[in-house]
Amino acid sequence: MFQVIGGRSVQVTRLLAPRSTVIVEAVRGRKSRTDPVAKSKEGRIKVPPPVDATEMVVLKERYTEYQMITRALRLEFKEEVLRKKYEEETGSLAEERARQEAEEHRALMAFNNQENLRMLQVRMLRIQKETEDAERKQVEAVAQREQQQQEFIKEREREILKLQEDAKNFITLENLDQRIEAALDNPKNYNFAIDKEGRVVKQTMLQ
Amino acid sequence: MPRYELALILKAMQRPGTSAALRRTVETLMERGAVVRDLENLGERLLPYTITKHNQRHSRGGYFLVDFYAAPSILTGLLDHLHRDVDVVRPTVLKKDAQVPSSNCCGPQQ
Repeated sequence: MFQVIGGRSVQVTRLLAPRSTVIVEAVRGRKSRTDPVAKSKEGRIKVPPPVDATEMVVLKERYTEYQMITRALRLEFKEEVLRKKYEEETGSLAEERARQEAEEHRALMAFNNQENLRMLQVRMLRIQKETEDAERKQVEAVAQREQQQQEFIKEREREILKLQEDAKNFITLENLDQRIEAALDNPKNYNFAIDKEGRVVKQTMLQ
Repeated sequence: MPRYELALILKAMQRPGTSAALRRTVETLMERGAVVRDLENLGERLLPYTITKHNQRHSRGGYFLVDFYAAPSILTGLLDHLHRDVDVVRPTVLKKDAQVPSSNCCGPQQ
């Protein structure tokens, strides 16, 4: 007779039931067809509920009327919905709207193409300028390097000439004696004195 | 070739001895392939401290400066030779840097 149940009613029953109980529900048809009838139900004759004739007739009429009305209303509403849907898709307004959208689309595409062309022009100019700049910079760099190299060469040439000049004063085997004598005759003194005002005194005592 | 400077301290001798020592030194340099640029005499001075070399104590010495161009490979040999020379009290070889371009001295200007 009692079975453990499942479904949405379970949640409600679970909330309302006390905590310790097991939740069960009465379910029809526990007995199979071969089970004997219960003692309390022996000799029971099932009788349908009594019906009053006039009441029945009146009720039937009212019911038919009522059902007709509700059916009519329902169908009307359904039709309205369908009509609306139809008009939405294939009404006159729909055509207008579709046309306008197409117009807009075309206008926007045209505008876009215009913009693209314009940007193309701008871009071409910019690229041209950039390439020109790059070229100019390149040329300048080359020229600069050339110039630096030239300067370098000149510097070195100057150094070489200076060295050649100095080479005339170098000590050789022939000069050696003379230079030694000259050196011994002229002692050189690199010492000097300086004070805070910056006065230099080169004459110092050589021990 | 890089440029070196030999700061030579010779024994305090008479003139012929000094000139002979100098001649010897310069000739050694030239034998080893150096080009001697200049020879300077800084005078015969009191040494800052008594130097003992070749079993002799020196208190005075002749300071000489020899500029020369040489290959770096000869330096060790040269120094070895100079250390063995009896008249040489102290040989010192230094590298000569290129002259720095004289610019305005950094610091508070007066």
